[in-house]
Amino acid sequence: MSYLLEADGLAKHYGSVIALDGVSFSIGKGVTGLLGPNGAGKSTAIKLFLGLIKPTSGSAQALGELPYESIEVRSRLGYMPEHDCLPTSLTATEFLVHMAQVSGLPPAHARTRAADTLRHVGLDEERYRAIGEYSTGMKQRVKLAQALVHDPVMVFLDEPTAGLDPMGREEMLALVRRTGGEFGISIMLSSHLMGDVESVCERIVVLEGGQVVEDGQVSQLTRETETLYVEVDDRRDELLDLLRQRGLDTGLDGLSIVIDNVADEGYDTVRDAVVESGARLRRMAPQRHRLTDIFRR
Amino acid sequence: MAAQPRGEIYDIGYRRYEGPREGRNRARAALWINGVRTALGIGRGTLAKILPILLFASTMLPAVIFVFIAYFTEGFGLSDTVDVPSYPDYFGVVSILALLFSAIIAPELLCADRRSQVLQLYLVRPLTSTDYVAGRWLAFFTIALGLVYSGQVVMFFGYTLAAAAPLDYLRDNWLAVPRFLAAGAVVAAFITTIPLTVAGFTTRRAYAAGFVIGLFVISSSIAQTLVGGTGEWLRWVALLDLLSVPTHITDMIFDQVSESGVAQQVSQLNSFIPIAWYLALTAGSAGLLLWRYRQEGQ
Repeated sequence: MSYLLEADGLAKHYGSVIALDGVSFSIGKGVTGLLGPNGAGKSTAIKLFLGLIKPTSGSAQALGELPYESIEVRSRLGYMPEHDCLPTSLTATEFLVHMAQVSGLPPAHARTRAADTLRHVGLDEERYRAIGEYSTGMKQRVKLAQALVHDPVMVFLDEPTAGLDPMGREEMLALVRRTGGEFGISIMLSSHLMGDVESVCERIVVLEGGQVVEDGQVSQLTRETETLYVEVDDRRDELLDLLRQRGLDTGLDGLSIVIDNVADEGYDTVRDAVVESGARLRRMAPQRHRLTDIFRR
Repeated sequence: MAAQPRGEIYDIGYRRYEGPREGRNRARAALWINGVRTALGIGRGTLAKILPILLFASTMLPAVIFVFIAYFTEGFGLSDTVDVPSYPDYFGVVSILALLFSAIIAPELLCADRRSQVLQLYLVRPLTSTDYVAGRWLAFFTIALGLVYSGQVVMFFGYTLAAAAPLDYLRDNWLAVPRFLAAGAVVAAFITTIPLTVAGFTTRRAYAAGFVIGLFVISSSIAQTLVGGTGEWLRWVALLDLLSVPTHITDMIFDQVSESGVAQQVSQLNSFIPIAWYLALTAGSAGLLLWRYRQEGQ
């Protein structure tokens, strides 16, 4: 498999501060989350892959090239920064046409791409208004559009839902999913919001203190555990006693009965105990790992 | 009744871009064109255009007045008694206006991008910080060249047509053309570089304009006051007049010395010194601006 991004022993030091400490990972096609608390090294990693800064040691390859040495590769990369980066006096159309040209597209193609891209991010008639008049959600769409206008192979999205209300956040995440799916543009989404990453990404790389602390498929990291949660409407104590009598490792978590280390046959035991106790079963489900657990370890 | 023609709109979905990618050279060209348009207020509201038009008109005015002087002098047979202003005289008169023009307009090219943080979007594209600075510098240099050349072209054609024998005038004065082309480039490079360098250190255009105007007015006032005295050291003090730095070079190009006290003092120095001073200020400022933007890209 050919990778789009490859970090090999990648380190970046700012004086005595170690932003990245010799990390190695590879990113293929699809939507990948770059997760970590503030100061974990996410922004440094993105800057290195965009070729904005030079590694202290190791290498950061983007699309098989070293972007610090070969800046032409940036014409096939896109970047949506977290904070404001839009000129307020221009219309979205003017701005996008210019950004497309600065990415290397000839003027006629730039105009077509700007119109298409603004339509895809959901800005139609508004695109002829000055950006300064836009809402936060519309500005986020323009920021995404400028990252996509030159049809990059890979796009870096830095906190794309920052500052959005719940509805705006859902719309932006849907747009990110569309970009990674329908548009076929691979994404590296940097965020400290677990929910965003969990709902959009297929894979995550977790950074903490400049090191990779987790790297894998989201489905694997959120797989089912061997802990079973049981909720009943009544006779909870009777059920609890029956489960203990049958040798299950049982405890309470709020109103739920928590059964640890449940193997396959354990489900039958729980089912029989519920029937025997006469309790009305409301819910019985295995617990899943959550991405937040990564930081609790 | 004939059926109405009907149209339907289809959503053909996202299409990948298969067209040409012209890379860094297209990016540089786009930056240059955008810079020229921004400085002149093209594609923006009327207000954005008024200031460049007013300043441009004010720099053209001296040239037009000079041509009228030449026309009436020739027409009334006063050519023996009235001195028609020369080409370097134009630079002396217009340098203040050109500096005012560049101090107010040039910072917009850098300040706006840094204020709105658009700069980072440029630097993640196939452009280096040097490309960015060079693109913005070239954009304003183009405008500044147009500004100083326009006045000289008006003067040259005006003087030619005002002359009793235009062809004789052309034969005798053709050398003025390469001279004003060179002198114009010297002035344009200076009035482009200094304001842009100052603009590289602030996000506010007004601060940059105020600083540049203040710097030139104060340095000029100090130098003009001091050169009235006596002593060889005043030749060096005269160099402090930043407003006159390019005109010392234009004087050399036209092989004459302006009548101002500062110009007279500097003319007594080895000609290498004002040239070196001009180059140090211009190239030094440009180097400082490049360094500043390299830091910005990190």
